[in-house]
Amino acid sequence: MANVAARVSLAEDGARSRPSAEAMLLERLRRGDRDAAGEFYDRYAARIHRFILHALGPGASPQDAEDVMHETFIAVAEGLPYFRGDSTLFTFACAIAHRKAMSLMRTGARRARIASTMSAPEDAAPDPSSGRDEATRRAFAALKPDYREVLHLKYVEEATTAEIAAILRTSEHAIESKLKRARSALRRRLEAER
Amino acid sequence: MNPHDDDNAIAARLREAAGPAPMPDAALRARFAARLRDVTAHPETVPIQFDGRKIEARRGGTLLGAALKSRTRLMHLCGARALCATCRVKVTAGEENLAPMSLKERLSLRYHLSFGSRTRLACQARVQGPVEVESVFPLCGDVPD
Repeated sequence: MANVAARVSLAEDGARSRPSAEAMLLERLRRGDRDAAGEFYDRYAARIHRFILHALGPGASPQDAEDVMHETFIAVAEGLPYFRGDSTLFTFACAIAHRKAMSLMRTGARRARIASTMSAPEDAAPDPSSGRDEATRRAFAALKPDYREVLHLKYVEEATTAEIAAILRTSEHAIESKLKRARSALRRRLEAER
Repeated sequence: MNPHDDDNAIAARLREAAGPAPMPDAALRARFAARLRDVTAHPETVPIQFDGRKIEARRGGTLLGAALKSRTRLMHLCGARALCATCRVKVTAGEENLAPMSLKERLSLRYHLSFGSRTRLACQARVQGPVEVESVFPLCGDVPD
């Protein structure tokens, strides 16, 4: 839901900013300030990239993730001057990343390639940079893309239900249901990994 | 097990498995800044996507006008009078960046049995910001010279 006013989460690392600081950054971005653009990129690029990697899943090539990342940031640059500030900047950028990732997954050949590896995640080449808990990584990678997205946003990015609803353009109620199903699916996968 | 403990355990495992965030790409950083500067330097021109093709629209102009100006073919049998609804488009992103539907447009869409909130008439919908649309009745090729 585009009109959901997502709450800014104040807890956690310094990457998240206070609303006033974010409003000031947005104002500078609307003027096309180069330093503000750099600040925005430094603050959100890594988080957006990680979200894209998780959304695309292990079947996607690094090049696919790079393409989505590129398309996302160009679309963000084109959309920022018109962004009304009714959600956080991260929510705004992440919603675009979600759309671009889903769009890529819908394209025929790439979709087939991703789907084939999703059905057999054990065959995916292990990624040394993707963390230490291999069983969790495999279980997570085997989930449906929308489950991966909600779990990533909820537990890794610590987004609120309202923020996730704004990113995935759905209702908070639908997100709560999806989170419940995603957690159950992950638990089942983790049990199977034991 | 307490559901909150279970929740916390899942959160801890997922954070652990997520690993470090990838290193940002310096070239993309520069391209992002350049594109932002370019877009803000031309506030009257809005970048839009029409049937997957990137075109530019005049701010306040119609989608049909933008399509025709960029030589993208789009059916409009009634001559942009909101009668035929052949210029119908499905808004895939940025519907909030189109001016609200007029009564004339709403009536025309209902008459043609289009009730979805994301379906608009390209001849009536005025662009206020970036938007992505797909024509309901696509035509092949470009508008000839």
